[in-house]
Amino acid sequence: MGRAVAVIGTGQTKHGRRDDLSYPDLVREAVKKVFEDAGITPRDVDGVVYGSMPSMMEGVAYNHFYFADALRVVGKPLLRTETCGSTGQSVAHTAIHWVASGMADVILAIASEKENEGDAQATMMTILEPFLQVVIGGAPIAFSLQSREWMGYYHIDDAKAREAASIVSVDSHDGGLANPLAHIRVKLSKEDITNAPIITYPVRFYDVCPISDGACAVIFASEEKAKKICKKPAWVKGIGFRGEEYFIGDSSKAVWQSTIEASKEAYKEAGITNPLKELDVAEVYNPFSYQELMFLECLGLCPPGEAPDYVIKGTFSPGGELPCDPSGGVLCTNPIGAAGLIRVAEAALQVTGKAGEHQVEGAKLALSHAMGGAMQFNGVTILGSEL
Amino acid sequence: MQKVGIVEVTQSSGVESPLSLMEFTYKPVKELLDKVDMRRDEVDMYILAATDVFHSGMSCANAFDWDASGAFMKPASREEGDAITAFVYGCMPIMEGRYDTVLVVGLIKGSENPENDTLTSFVADPFYSRPVGIQETTAAAMQMRLYLQRYGITEEQCAKVVVKNLGNALFNPYAHIKKRVNVDDVLNSERICDPLKAMECAPKSEGVCAMLLASEEKAKKLTDKPVWFKGWGSSMDTFYLGDRDLLDTQLKAAAASAYKMAGVSDPRKEIDVAEICEPYAFQELLWCEQLGFCAQGQGGKLIDSGVTQITGALPVNPSGGVLAMNPYVARGLYRVAEAALQIKGKAGEHQVDGKVNTALAHSTYGFCGQWQGVVILGS
Amino acid sequence: MAEQKEKPRKVAAMGMVPYEMALGPTWTRFFEGFKEKKILGTKCNKCGRVLVPARPFCSRCFEPMEEWVEVAQEGTIVTWSYVNYTYFGVTPDMIPLIGATIKLDGVDCGTGMWTQIGGFDIKDFELVTKKVKVGARVRAVWRRKRQGNFRDIDYWKIIE
Repeated sequence: MGRAVAVIGTGQTKHGRRDDLSYPDLVREAVKKVFEDAGITPRDVDGVVYGSMPSMMEGVAYNHFYFADALRVVGKPLLRTETCGSTGQSVAHTAIHWVASGMADVILAIASEKENEGDAQATMMTILEPFLQVVIGGAPIAFSLQSREWMGYYHIDDAKAREAASIVSVDSHDGGLANPLAHIRVKLSKEDITNAPIITYPVRFYDVCPISDGACAVIFASEEKAKKICKKPAWVKGIGFRGEEYFIGDSSKAVWQSTIEASKEAYKEAGITNPLKELDVAEVYNPFSYQELMFLECLGLCPPGEAPDYVIKGTFSPGGELPCDPSGGVLCTNPIGAAGLIRVAEAALQVTGKAGEHQVEGAKLALSHAMGGAMQFNGVTILGSEL
Repeated sequence: MQKVGIVEVTQSSGVESPLSLMEFTYKPVKELLDKVDMRRDEVDMYILAATDVFHSGMSCANAFDWDASGAFMKPASREEGDAITAFVYGCMPIMEGRYDTVLVVGLIKGSENPENDTLTSFVADPFYSRPVGIQETTAAAMQMRLYLQRYGITEEQCAKVVVKNLGNALFNPYAHIKKRVNVDDVLNSERICDPLKAMECAPKSEGVCAMLLASEEKAKKLTDKPVWFKGWGSSMDTFYLGDRDLLDTQLKAAAASAYKMAGVSDPRKEIDVAEICEPYAFQELLWCEQLGFCAQGQGGKLIDSGVTQITGALPVNPSGGVLAMNPYVARGLYRVAEAALQIKGKAGEHQVDGKVNTALAHSTYGFCGQWQGVVILGS
Repeated sequence: MAEQKEKPRKVAAMGMVPYEMALGPTWTRFFEGFKEKKILGTKCNKCGRVLVPARPFCSRCFEPMEEWVEVAQEGTIVTWSYVNYTYFGVTPDMIPLIGATIKLDGVDCGTGMWTQIGGFDIKDFELVTKKVKVGARVRAVWRRKRQGNFRDIDYWKIIE
C-alpha cells in the first residue's frame, strides 16, 4: 500500500468552553503544540489538510480561508476534507493518502470546532433535507433511535442495557478525570447516571456528550522522514471508511454495516484477525454511552448482541482486556469536527507511551474510530508502535 | 509512484434543471458508469466534492449526496471547497497502489442557492471584513482596480475575455450562458461594482461533473486513449486583503510546483490548451500572467494578440470557461474534464485545432484567488 | 504579554440564507400521492426492493427505479425514541414527542423521521412504555386537509 506513513506529533487544545479565545486563536493553540511535540517548524511541512463541521455550525463559510495563518498554510497547498462527525478520521485519511502517494513527505492534519459559538442541534437538523426526513432531527433522537433498534434487535432488556451504558459512562468520566485536556472532569457513580433526567429515553443526561470547543493537530510523515525526525513514531497500520444510504431506515443501524466493513478493511490491512486479543486500546467514538455498546460489537471487539455482557464483566474498563476511551472519549470532550482526529491523536499517544496519567500500560496497537452523517459514515484508523 | 489515467468524463448542463439534487447528480454518474461498462460496486473508491449549507441548503453535504454519487458501502471521502481538490485526492490512492479505480464527482445546483455574493459574504470573518461588505465580487472589484491602474490594462481588454469565452461557449453543448456579445455590450452592461460590469461576472449555474480515474494498467484496459495526470501544485494566501499584494498571488507558487512535477519548463510553449477559472473577466488575464503565459502586466497584450483565442497558439477556455458556466464547487473538476477532453480529441465543436499533448486546468476560490490550484495533464 | 484587564468579549451574529430547492419529479409524485391518502414507493427491478419514500434510483444496484407501487399504510415499529427536550425547530409545545422508524408491510426499508407516534396521552410515560414497543403495529392517520407534504400524515396510531 504505497509508502509507510507515521504520526510524528500531536497537539490538542485544552477542550471545553473557550470563550477566552477567538476561533483562529483556538486553532493556533493546537497547531503551536503539534510543532512543539514534533520538534519541527512549519517550514518542514509540505501541505495541510483541514476539516470542521459545516459552515452553519462554524458561522463562517470555508473557514480555512479565515484560519490560513493559524493553520500555517500560507504558501502551501491545502485540502479540506469533511464527512460530518467522521471528519476527523477522514482528515487523517486524506493526510495518509497524500504521504503514501509520494506527493508529499510531511502533512499537517488539523480539525477543529468552536461548538459553543453556533447552534449544533440546528446544524444537525439541516443534515436532513426539508422535504422527507425533517420533522425531528437532532443527534440525541437519532442516536437513541439507533440504541433502541439495537436493543430491540437483540432482545436486550432495558435494565441490562442501562447497566452496561452506565458502566461505559462511569469509565469514560474516570478517563476524563485523568486527562487534563478533557472538557468534562467529574467523578460519577452509576447511580448519578441512572438518576439523571431523561433526554430522549433511554438516553439520560450523563449518557450524552457535552458541547465543547477544541482543536486537534496531527503531523503525518513518510517512513524516511519519520525515522529522521522522530524517535518514537506511531505507525499507520490500517485505515477503513464506509458510508451508507442517506435515508435512515434503508439499512440496519443495529448491525451497522458501515462500522463493520470500515473496521474489517482496516484490520485486514493491519493484519489483525482477532481485534479483541490483538488490540491494546481502543478510542471508540462514543457521543452516547448506549451507542458505544453497539460500536463494540460492530467493530468486532465482542460478539453481536453481547456487548452488555462484556462491558459488565469489565472487558473494556480500565485494567480490562481492551480498555476503551481512556482519554474520556467523546462523552467527555466533543468538539465535533475535531473529535475524530482527537481519537487518532489519542491512539498515537497510547502507542508511543505519551498519554501520561491515562496511559494504558504497554500499549502497542490502538484503534481509533469516528462516525457521522445521518447515521451513515464510519471511519477507522489503526496505529501501532512497530512499523 | 503509480501513473494515474483519466478514463472517461461526463458532465451535466449548466442550465436550471427541475430535477432534485439527488436525481440531477445521479444522471452523469450513471452515464459515466455505463460508458465505461462498470457496475457501481466495481469501482474501488469514490471522492465527492460538494459543499455545505451555504451552497446546498444542507449541512454535511456528503450525507445527502452519498446515494447519487454511487458511494454506498465503498471506501470514500468528500472534499469541501473546489472540486479540483477531489480530483487530486482521487489520484492519491491510485498513486500509492492502494486502489485501481476512483470515481470523482463534483456537484452543485446553483439554481437552488442564493446569489454567490450572499454566500461568499459568509466567507468573510465576522468582525472586520463582513461588516464592511467584503465578498467575492467586491474583493474582485478592488483587485481589478489595482490591475487597471498598475499595469495600464484597459477595460476593453477585460471585456474581450467575455467576448472570447461566451463566443467559445456557443460551441459547448453543456454551457449555461449562450449569447454572442461584443465589447460594447460588455462595457455597456451595468456597472455593478465599479470597475466590474455585470457581464464580466460569472453566473450561478448547475453542474455535476463525474470522472473515472484508473491505474496505468487498468486505464489502458478501459479506454483507447487515457489522459495522464502529470502534475499538481496548489498554494494558499493569507486571509486579509490588506495583508497581500492582490496582483502577486499564490498562483505563481501553485503553477511552479505543478510545472516542476510535470517537467514543464516553458509553459507558454509546452502547454497546448488551458482551462482556467475566471469568475471575473479580468482574472483570466491576471491568471495567464501568473501561470507564466506572458510577463507580469502583459495580460492585456496577450488577449489583444489573439494567442488565447480558440484558433490561437495557446487557447484559453475553449469551453467558454467559468464566465459561461459557473457551477461553484464543481467548476474546478469541469476544468480538468474539459482539459482531458481536449487531449482525447473529444471536445466536439469546441475542440482546438492541432494536436493537444499537454493541457492545463486551473481553479481558484476565496477572495481575490486566496486558494489556487493547477493540474497538468498529458497525452 | 502584559496582563490584560478586559475580559474577552463575544459578539452576537445571525445569518439568514434563503433557498429554493427542487423537489424533482420523483418526490413531487410521492407527495401528490399523500393528497389522495396514498403512500407510494418505487421498486428496483434488479434487486426487487420496494422503498419508501419513493426513490429515483436504487442506491445499491444504481439502476433507475421507475416502477411505482402503492404500499400498505400499516407497519411495524423498528425503533422509537421519546423526546423530552427542546432544540432548534422543537418548541416546548411540541414535546414530549415520539419519533419512530416504521417498516411498512411489503416495504424493504424502514421509513423514518416523518413518523411520529400519537393518538393517546403521550405525556403519560408509563402508558408510553406499555404501548410503544419495538415490533408494535401502527397505522397512518391522515389529516383532513392535505397539502402534499410530510405533515399530511398527522401521526401513527398504535394498533392494539
